[in-house]
Amino acid sequence: MTFYKKELNRIRNIVYSNEGQINTVIGIRSYIENNYDVNLNLDLLSHIQFVSKYHLLRLFKKYYGLTPRQYLIDKRIEKSKEHLINGISVTETCFAVGFESLGSFSTLFKTKTGKSPTEFQKEQLSRSKIDSKF
Amino acid sequence: MKVTLISIPVRDQEKALKFYTEKLGFIKKKDLPLEGGNRWLTLVSAEWQDGPELLLEPAPNHFEPCKVFQDALMEAGFPYTQFDVDNVDAEYERLSKLGVDFSVKPTKMGTVKVTVFNDTCGNNIQLVEEL
Repeated sequence: MTFYKKELNRIRNIVYSNEGQINTVIGIRSYIENNYDVNLNLDLLSHIQFVSKYHLLRLFKKYYGLTPRQYLIDKRIEKSKEHLINGISVTETCFAVGFESLGSFSTLFKTKTGKSPTEFQKEQLSRSKIDSKF
Repeated sequence: MKVTLISIPVRDQEKALKFYTEKLGFIKKKDLPLEGGNRWLTLVSAEWQDGPELLLEPAPNHFEPCKVFQDALMEAGFPYTQFDVDNVDAEYERLSKLGVDFSVKPTKMGTVKVTVFNDTCGNNIQLVEEL
């Protein structure tokens, strides 16, 4: 057995021994993946897995390294890029991925990608036009 | 500052180019000649072509400590680079059929599943799927 395999086994036994906790957080992540476009909050997520919301927050952060809220925002931004590339308007995109205000969507989008949704879309659409010309 | 490049040390750039494009499915992005037959050779993911580039650099041939470190990692079965995939089991099946040699079969590690293969250029590469 290689050193790496031994290390995998050793670390799994220490860090990932609590099967129940792991199933809970995997369930939460998968719920976010499938329902990022609706109004999600900690209360709802904690009801789904029958754990208190503070416990849930701690568990999620422990296993995924970020909070459910941060995870959800990243997911929504990733999806909004797909919508914008496909030519969906900024306003439609904002609501389609679950944000409730255009202002917070634009601000978050700019923070995460370096561009506003409008700038991003213009750049992507002009790029695809150039590609088809060459 | 932006992260745009990940370096992978390889013994043979041409062989690495073939393996990484033909088997793994990366796409060549930049290929320019440097001195002594060396190239600045980069690849991108087929599904994320404006994402970070992989630099296949012949460092082990020119800098002994790099070779020593790479050999030690290989010997210990240690991956130094990992790529994200949607489905580790499916990639394991696909690459095994193409003759790729795996040292760690798909293994669940808590909230991820990993597998490790030999890139035939001196490196163990880990594939990871978030569960």
